[in-house]
Amino acid sequence: MLGESTIVFVALAGLFAYSFYAVLVAGQLSLGQAGFAALAAYASATLAPDPDAVGDGAALAVALVVGVVVGAVAAVVLGLPTMHLRGVFLAIATLGFAEAVRIVLLNADWSGGPQGLSVPKILEPWTAWAVLAAVAYAFWRQAPSRYGRALAAIREDELAARSTGIDVGRHRLAAFVTAGGVAGAYGVLWAYFVRLVVPSDFGFSTAIDGLVTAFVGGSTVWLGPVLGGAFLTAVPEAQRALGIEAGWVRPFLAGLLLLVVILFRPGGLASLVPRRRPRLAGAPDDGPAAAPAPETRAPAGVVASLRGVTKDYGGVHAVRGVDLELHAGEVVGLIGPNGAGKTTLVNMLCGHVPPSAGRIDVLGVDPARTPVHRVAAAGVARTFQQTRLFGRLTALENVLVGAHLTSRPTFLRRLLWLPSARRDERAALAHAGRCLERVGLGSAARTDAGALSYGDQRRLEIARALAAGPTLLVLDEPAAGMNAVEADALSTLISSLAADGLAVLLIEHDVGLVMRTCDRVVVLDFGTVLTAGPPEEVRRDARVVAAYLGAEDADDEHVTGEEAR
Amino acid sequence: MQQLLNGLSIGSIYALFAIGFTLVFGILDRLNLAHPAVFAAGALVGIELVDAAGLSVWLALPAVAVVGGLLGLVVERVAFRPLRDRPDAHFAGLIASIAMGGMLVALLQWRYGPDTRRFPAGAFPEQGYELLGARITLLQVVILAISVLLMVGLTLLVARSGLGRSMRAVAENPTAARVVGVDVERVTATTFAISAALGAVAGALFAMNVNSAQLGMGAAIELKGLAVIVVGGMGSLPGALVGGLLLGLAEVFAVQYVGSSWRDLVAFGLLFLLLVVRPQGLFGRARVREV
Amino acid sequence: MRRSLPVRTPMSPMSPTSPASPTPRTPRRHAALLALSSAVALALAACSSDGSGSSGGSLQGEGTGDACTIADPVPVGAALSLTGAAGSYGESQRKGLELAAETLSDDGVTYELAIEDDQTDPRQGITVFEKLASDGVSAIIGPTLSTVAFQAQPIAQEEGVPVVAISNTADGITEQGEFIHRVSLTEGQVIPQTVEAAVAEHDLEDVVVMYSDDDAFTESGYQVFAEALEAEGVDVADTLTFSVADTDFRPLLTQAKAADPDAIVVSALIEAAVPLVTQARELGIDVPIVGGNGFNNPQLMADAGDAAEGVIVGAAWNSAATDNAQNTAFLEAYEEANGGAPDQFAAQAYAGLQAVDAAVRAGCSAEPDAVRENLSALQDLDSVLGTLSIDENRDAVHEAVVQVVDGGQFVALG
Repeated sequence: MLGESTIVFVALAGLFAYSFYAVLVAGQLSLGQAGFAALAAYASATLAPDPDAVGDGAALAVALVVGVVVGAVAAVVLGLPTMHLRGVFLAIATLGFAEAVRIVLLNADWSGGPQGLSVPKILEPWTAWAVLAAVAYAFWRQAPSRYGRALAAIREDELAARSTGIDVGRHRLAAFVTAGGVAGAYGVLWAYFVRLVVPSDFGFSTAIDGLVTAFVGGSTVWLGPVLGGAFLTAVPEAQRALGIEAGWVRPFLAGLLLLVVILFRPGGLASLVPRRRPRLAGAPDDGPAAAPAPETRAPAGVVASLRGVTKDYGGVHAVRGVDLELHAGEVVGLIGPNGAGKTTLVNMLCGHVPPSAGRIDVLGVDPARTPVHRVAAAGVARTFQQTRLFGRLTALENVLVGAHLTSRPTFLRRLLWLPSARRDERAALAHAGRCLERVGLGSAARTDAGALSYGDQRRLEIARALAAGPTLLVLDEPAAGMNAVEADALSTLISSLAADGLAVLLIEHDVGLVMRTCDRVVVLDFGTVLTAGPPEEVRRDARVVAAYLGAEDADDEHVTGEEAR
Repeated sequence: MQQLLNGLSIGSIYALFAIGFTLVFGILDRLNLAHPAVFAAGALVGIELVDAAGLSVWLALPAVAVVGGLLGLVVERVAFRPLRDRPDAHFAGLIASIAMGGMLVALLQWRYGPDTRRFPAGAFPEQGYELLGARITLLQVVILAISVLLMVGLTLLVARSGLGRSMRAVAENPTAARVVGVDVERVTATTFAISAALGAVAGALFAMNVNSAQLGMGAAIELKGLAVIVVGGMGSLPGALVGGLLLGLAEVFAVQYVGSSWRDLVAFGLLFLLLVVRPQGLFGRARVREV
Repeated sequence: MRRSLPVRTPMSPMSPTSPASPTPRTPRRHAALLALSSAVALALAACSSDGSGSSGGSLQGEGTGDACTIADPVPVGAALSLTGAAGSYGESQRKGLELAAETLSDDGVTYELAIEDDQTDPRQGITVFEKLASDGVSAIIGPTLSTVAFQAQPIAQEEGVPVVAISNTADGITEQGEFIHRVSLTEGQVIPQTVEAAVAEHDLEDVVVMYSDDDAFTESGYQVFAEALEAEGVDVADTLTFSVADTDFRPLLTQAKAADPDAIVVSALIEAAVPLVTQARELGIDVPIVGGNGFNNPQLMADAGDAAEGVIVGAAWNSAATDNAQNTAFLEAYEEANGGAPDQFAAQAYAGLQAVDAAVRAGCSAEPDAVRENLSALQDLDSVLGTLSIDENRDAVHEAVVQVVDGGQFVALG
């Protein structure tokens, strides 16, 4: 029968993989978990009471608490200085941390060096599985919560996540701490099962093993780590059972199997399990549980003002001395040739880039000194020149992320199955559904954003921006790739939004759309404002015609955008 | 002085190993963790060629480079190309390359057994020289020279040749490169082949330096190689060279002044310091945010 | 160069959008296949351990000693590191064991070896020990590493299966329980006399000590060296550490040379010993080098060549013991079977099975309890290691040798 050790090791492998999952789900390739586990194992072995004195259960409980705390603290220590690192940089830095921990433990006096620390074996299989189940449960409840979706959004597109109001730094740190705590639990349970903790059990290959387990199981679905742990622990067992000769053949076959899974199962083993996606239950209702709109801090009139705004990149003057004012209920068009500085201007407005000179005020906030997510919280929402959707989330989920600021956090209440969490979520779903309907994508709610057509993707971005209930909506070339019918629908939508009281700033090359929809048009050329005024005036202005529109039938031209590929 | 020479000697091998990593990362944005296995393979194959086929050590090196190149092509074809278009292409490729690395090491164990292998006696010159009070062998000088030559050659290749131009184009924007007629698949494959060839030669040189090769030699040096490329700047070839030499020297002097137990910590201390102060490394370009 | 952010969803109408989910048909087929194969694998794992349970009384034989006859083959399990970091040692041990099983089996008693790979991984070590114990073997030999031993051997102790440790030299191995025995001498039994002999031979007054500090075996060896040197009144000018995977010792040796010692004392494994000795001579260090058990390997002379001349090695097995008929026969047979000379790992593995064999024949029973009793009482066994006895702590007792490399061979010192 399956030995006790196999049962325990499957649970432990799954637990360790969860510590990777915790950060992978947010797209962070952090590999320091072996270090957290090592610190937790040694700390609990040293600090926890002797099971002979207080009993197995109490000793293990105290050890777990110690381990989880140590792991979490270690994660903060690692997470803070590496906050700005991404991708492979982060992987290497965190690996370096894990190695450093191992070296320190090898050399410390109190740790027993390479000969290790002896620990009584008091772990029962059911305890290991209970801890695993608890962790799995927490991640299961996390996935469809606002927090879980925010992590997924950060994974898919960090910049877009920021612009929907998600505080990336805080979420990353939270993911790190979760990983640290779970890795700490793993370290403790490991120590109290194998009887001896040695630094070499927490080295580079352990770290890589954990990553592989998490990935093979599926790093985006909560069930993944359990499947990965079971699979990878079963491989040597299966090899023994099949009588494969001990020696080089086994690692070879193990590697081959791993390769096969990676190549043919993109989402890991968990992709075999059908995924439940959030759905709209019945017709959206406008009940009193509707999400509250964010408050605007500016007077009903001026929503944003730019004075003398300049941006230099080295010797290039992208924007020079631009003055601009945006009012509620007004649609302002921003046009100009490629390279005129339109997107740069908008980036400064939203807080992505600080101006080199000048003052900007948006809804009471200075975007030069405010992180992007706070600017979003003030009431600014935007779409991007190059579509930035959360590709592996459905359209509905994308919009739900957009509503991040207007919905209530539900994770902790979900853990306890509180009905208020259900209510809040249904309200959020209803709100998201309405936004999708408004842009005409109601039927595409359950399609993955990456699978939508280009035009639909553009509209989805708008729906996501709307979900935040913004006061200022910035649209960067929303009509790119749209045909005349779609462009018309867009025009109608924009006008209706303005009628609802939004200020809309529209960058577009579709001159016809601009002229039809905008109350005011600002023309930018070489970073300065050429002219500004009502559409008819601007269209006839000779300078504008020379610089951008060209002579005759300007409203029939479709000037192609900068992103021709 | 002796320590300086020791440091340069080991540093040049770190650098040669790291260059393989950084080449693939710089051009293709992929971290290839089968590289350490190719390193070990180069060493073991080199020994076999000298031992069994009686090849001179200097002739064996180009042969090792060819073997390495072939391994690189295989790794690219199997572990990276099929995963190119996935949204998680980075992680998937990384893990696939780990799997291939494991398979390669297992095959090496099949062919060569788990014991340490060494070059037969007399395989390379034994002369030593005195230089400013320090002893250095002819072999160490030659190894240093070969490493530097290869790295300079590679840098020139990337900077001046047609292939190098294509590689840089692919690094900037593969879709645009394809549009202007660059055969992206072939450039990718060639990049992997060159990177693996360098890694294999590094392995052979390393084995010559210490006259031993074992299955785990790649794993031992792997983390240091990664530290080197971060310190030198991801994707920067001169960075890998300088980073490697710097690491070799730092280690050697750490042993001298701090104590040998903590020597490995030097690599990571340097790494952390650099990442916090100058995340793009010594020579890397600061990432410009694109919106 | 491109940024390292994850690839974004494609934007242009010209590039194909990558499907985020595969077509409906493939996942179901893959799912079925994977589910089926995992079920099969687990079922196999479950079933395989059941059938070969202990077969009751047929392990009890008739007669004694050489005349003992046991009907069924005696199952002996071995958990060795055949792959992974300790792979080369495990392989040596496997060869030694297989040779022993062949040699020691005769018409009366035959040995059936079940050799499992622990992959130098404690998880596999524990699992393998569990499996072997539940398979009902008469004894378990191994594992290769002392650290894995502490993690896995208690399982055998709990299940009542005797263990013969063949390469664990750490303190506390046999204290894990009365089922745990060892035929490998501890460092404490080998090194002090090595130091004594070296000091006497070369009049040592101050030395430099070098050892790999991230390996349990070499570190415990160092600890014994340090104590022994102190006991002999030898000054330690400098203590230099390296990593077990290191092969370039020039920086350390340069430092050692600067301290101008009378000898360099090294606790290292053979992978490090050979380059260390070679590079030391290269750098012009001519003083004697003294090594521990890890140096006791024919590779030392084969690969370091002339540089190895004069190296003093403390050893638990004297490969050159020509007065030991067992040893001579072992050397010949091993060379023939494997095409190379054995090392200490192979010799100790061979001796391990010899000890089990002696215990089985003493009571003419391969029942685990009987084997344990007779192992603990083993006295004066003629083995390849010399005359071997198991003391009251279940540790091995036999004469340890101090060897020196002379003319490409190990010869006894003094």
